[in-house]
Amino acid sequence: MSVATNNELKSTIALTGLYHVIDPEIGLNIVDLGLVYEIQFNEDEHVITVIMTLTTQFCPMGESIVDATKQAMQESFLDYEIKVELIFVPAWSPDMISEEGNTFLNG
Amino acid sequence: MFIAGANSPIKNTDYRVVLPFYAYAALAFLVATVLMMADVGAFTQHHFNAKALAITHTMALGWGTMMILGASHQLFPVLIEGKLHSNTLAYLSFIFGAIGIPMLVYAFYTFNFGLVAQAGAIAVNLAVISYLVNLTISIVQTKKHNVHAVSAFTAVIWLLVTTLVGLLLVYNFQTPIFTQASIHYLSLHAHLGIIGWFLLMIIGVGARLIPMFLISKYENQKTLWWIYWLVNGGLISFIIIFIYGGNFLITLIPVALIGAAVILFGRFIYKAYQKRIRKKVDEQVQTSMLSVALIGVPLVIIIGVILIFSTLGNQQFVTLYGFTIFFGWITAIILGMTFKTLPFIVWNKVYHDIAGLGKTPNPKELFKNNIFIANIISYLLGFVILSFGIINSNIIALNIGAGLLLLNALLYNINVFTILFHQSKIK
Repeated sequence: MSVATNNELKSTIALTGLYHVIDPEIGLNIVDLGLVYEIQFNEDEHVITVIMTLTTQFCPMGESIVDATKQAMQESFLDYEIKVELIFVPAWSPDMISEEGNTFLNG
Repeated sequence: MFIAGANSPIKNTDYRVVLPFYAYAALAFLVATVLMMADVGAFTQHHFNAKALAITHTMALGWGTMMILGASHQLFPVLIEGKLHSNTLAYLSFIFGAIGIPMLVYAFYTFNFGLVAQAGAIAVNLAVISYLVNLTISIVQTKKHNVHAVSAFTAVIWLLVTTLVGLLLVYNFQTPIFTQASIHYLSLHAHLGIIGWFLLMIIGVGARLIPMFLISKYENQKTLWWIYWLVNGGLISFIIIFIYGGNFLITLIPVALIGAAVILFGRFIYKAYQKRIRKKVDEQVQTSMLSVALIGVPLVIIIGVILIFSTLGNQQFVTLYGFTIFFGWITAIILGMTFKTLPFIVWNKVYHDIAGLGKTPNPKELFKNNIFIANIISYLLGFVILSFGIINSNIIALNIGAGLLLLNALLYNINVFTILFHQSKIK
């Protein structure tokens, strides 16, 4: 699943960081898992909003995943404020796992 | 990976609420196997004997119920997609249970149904009521009422009915409340708990968790609703037959209904397994899936008892029936699911506030997988050998089986307490 953005170049940098955020139960990064829906850059206010989901609402690991996402983004964009917005519509489904993710899980 | 402790939009159940249940249940399992090892002769007598009752209640309340209560405080928010209402009620549930269960077990062990037994039974009921109130308010506060949440909620209602009947039976020993002696109501009390509480809860939660851990695309709410009604219908028909009586064919109705539910549940899990994305299934989920298969064992036994003996009078089979329930599927699913939940709860506790200070271990690294595998091998061997010992009233087999189950409980405790006492590896 591709990640929507209003800044392709910066989004690539952001995704490089987010590939290091791993869902501890599955062992797969949140990008290939399909949890990241959108990354929006607000250059006027220096705010980056990551719109993402979790595999299940009230996932016991959700708090850590969200915080790790913020941390990973902050390391790539030091002078930006990072916001993470959780949405559950559309709900995550296994179909959102990328080809690389499926290869990892099949291994 | 990165871990940060910044503000988060999601708040899970406080780990301090959940962890005591895990520790208590693990110790109760160890106590049950020690009691079993000390009194294997109890398995050769009529099932209504002091030692067997003490072991059964340690397993049913201390092990099964305390573990499920603890895990469900953490997992119920996932089922209802909402917050747990109160940590205080959760603590109260633990405290009442932790005090009441040993009192009851001691009373059974000494076969004295005086004040200690009565106070213990009251405390257990207060634990269940605290839990039920907490769950009810949590459900009312959320708008999501799926089959998993409804099953879990109904299971807790049945648990309360079970413990209330248990309380009355304790009093009935001293002051006649019922028309007959307490032993007459034993099968009613036991099946309310086994079917209404354990089976319904494990099906309701297992049908959500096992496909989730498999990352399965399979979904079938309709089948799960069928299972829900079959289990409840089976239990209600059992109660009606217990009260009003029935001929041989009528007694098969609850067995058929619950048997159909178990077959449907097995089919559901199998289909979820077939449609899984995660091809490599870890040992913990494998053990949980084995537990689904083990649900069929007591069913086969009860059908065998009804068909072959046309009565529940055959002692070995009745004891085997109870053993394959408490040491079979209930224990198997707990052995598996403990290590799919507890390491993550402790991992969240230990590493959540460490903001990117280094590479954190995987939650699965918080326990020793080779100990887990030895744990499961000793469990399976112990289960099979002890079952053989019960059928043949063979003391040597009973001793070997009980020894292996004690070893299994020891290994399980080593892993559980290794996780509970885990300290951060990041300097």
